[in-house]
Amino acid sequence: MKVRRTALGIATVVVLLAAWELSARLNKTVYVPPVTAIAATFVHEWFSAQFRDQALPSLLRMFAGYAIASTCGVAVGVVIGAYRPLYRLVDPVLQFLRAIPPTAIIPVGILLIGIGDTMKILVIAFGAFWPILVNSVDGARSVPQERLDTARIFGLSRSSTLLTVIFPSALPGVFAGLRTGLSIAFIMIVVSEMIGSTNGLGYYILQAQRTFAIPEMYGGIVLLAILGYCLNAGFVAVEHRILAWHHGQSARTV
Amino acid sequence: MNAGTRVLLDVSGLQKRYDSSGVVAIESITLDVKEREFVSIVGPSGCGKTTLLKTICGLLRPTAGSVTLDGKLVTTPPPEMVLVFQDYARSLFPWLTVAGNVRFPLKKKNLAGAESTRAVGAALAAVGLDRFAKQYPWQLSGGMQQRVAIARAVAFRPEILLLDEPFASVDALTRAELEDLTLRLRDEFGITMLLVTHDIDEAVYLSDRVFVLSPPPSVVVREFAIPLGGARDQEATRSDPRFLSLRNEIHHLIGRPLPAAEAVP
Repeated sequence: MKVRRTALGIATVVVLLAAWELSARLNKTVYVPPVTAIAATFVHEWFSAQFRDQALPSLLRMFAGYAIASTCGVAVGVVIGAYRPLYRLVDPVLQFLRAIPPTAIIPVGILLIGIGDTMKILVIAFGAFWPILVNSVDGARSVPQERLDTARIFGLSRSSTLLTVIFPSALPGVFAGLRTGLSIAFIMIVVSEMIGSTNGLGYYILQAQRTFAIPEMYGGIVLLAILGYCLNAGFVAVEHRILAWHHGQSARTV
Repeated sequence: MNAGTRVLLDVSGLQKRYDSSGVVAIESITLDVKEREFVSIVGPSGCGKTTLLKTICGLLRPTAGSVTLDGKLVTTPPPEMVLVFQDYARSLFPWLTVAGNVRFPLKKKNLAGAESTRAVGAALAAVGLDRFAKQYPWQLSGGMQQRVAIARAVAFRPEILLLDEPFASVDALTRAELEDLTLRLRDEFGITMLLVTHDIDEAVYLSDRVFVLSPPPSVVVREFAIPLGGARDQEATRSDPRFLSLRNEIHHLIGRPLPAAEAVP
């Protein structure tokens, strides 16, 4: 069953690529080069120093921004979710701020910080922060009352209740936020590099388009797709390890 | 038989009115539990039994009256008193193994590693779960999960266990097993038991004394002594004529409760 599904998936990809190849060769337009041309360019471009010069900076900025967003988002979110008065106080503000499309903050970043790595990292962090924060808040708020009462009955202090009861209980929500945050961080890196940068994948793709290097432009997009796919797969693997108890429990009760 | 004569828990004129709604869940409840006694509280559904237990153990603040344990006023949950909830799935920690759950509260007790391992082992053996130490609670049946919650409470070595309808979410056969388990734990560990239940037969079967509550705002309608001796047996005790007459009397009382105004002492 699983083999058949995998085979079917591969077959679909092959058919789509063949259709692209065929139509590109028949139409002979420069704007949509054949798949084989893109693939050749891709190998030539990315199995070289180009990866270090363009892809690596993007990834490093993204990880830096994402790390800041994760640390702050989870810590602040769990604390807000754990203390109801604090939640009631800040929730309206959070709901308003999270509604800002994160890309809209880039001009502000350029204005205040200038064009540089710091701006990009902070803009990525800003974008990824909100979904992580909001989901961590929800996760910490959804801890069953019995579990909190149990912590009190056994004499746990507020800080150890937060760390050893509320935080693990909130993890399913935290991970939902981290996952959304990751995809937003990925979007933010491309956009921020397109607007103000001298390297990185966003810069590369825009530059390729402006200099009419069409196969290079598509090659950059393909690389982004591959990176995004790998990041998500890696994330899911980590999540499955850490949340094994949650998935096991859900599978039981559903 | 088992019960001592020293009063361990003293609940006096306890009242609980909810601040937010102004609803009086508990009007005035006075009761006492002696050392190693098994006492049950029964009442119609919605008579504030859970509120009562939470107030007794210091999770909720009473609006009037007091609770003393061993002569000390209870204002926050004291380490000598542990409450076991009906909903084990919500009170257990699903990210910890069975042993991890039982060990969890012991960290507070500053036990040495070996000592706490021994306490965990003893508690799991007492509830018959020693072979399941490395499993996760959610991998076990409902009755077994409630045993984990009970083992966790017992390992903490409280003087008194408060049980909030602990067997309400399990099947009848498991229920009988768990009932006998609590009786055994009382004898083995010398833990005093205060059980809240809506099941009159269960209350009579397990208890040395039964307090019957009125519908809210709750008061104690009557106190019953259960002179069925220390050793209880699911078949023999439940067919004992004294058991039957007591349960009928309580049924009658709950079925036609006194008006609250008349029952206020």
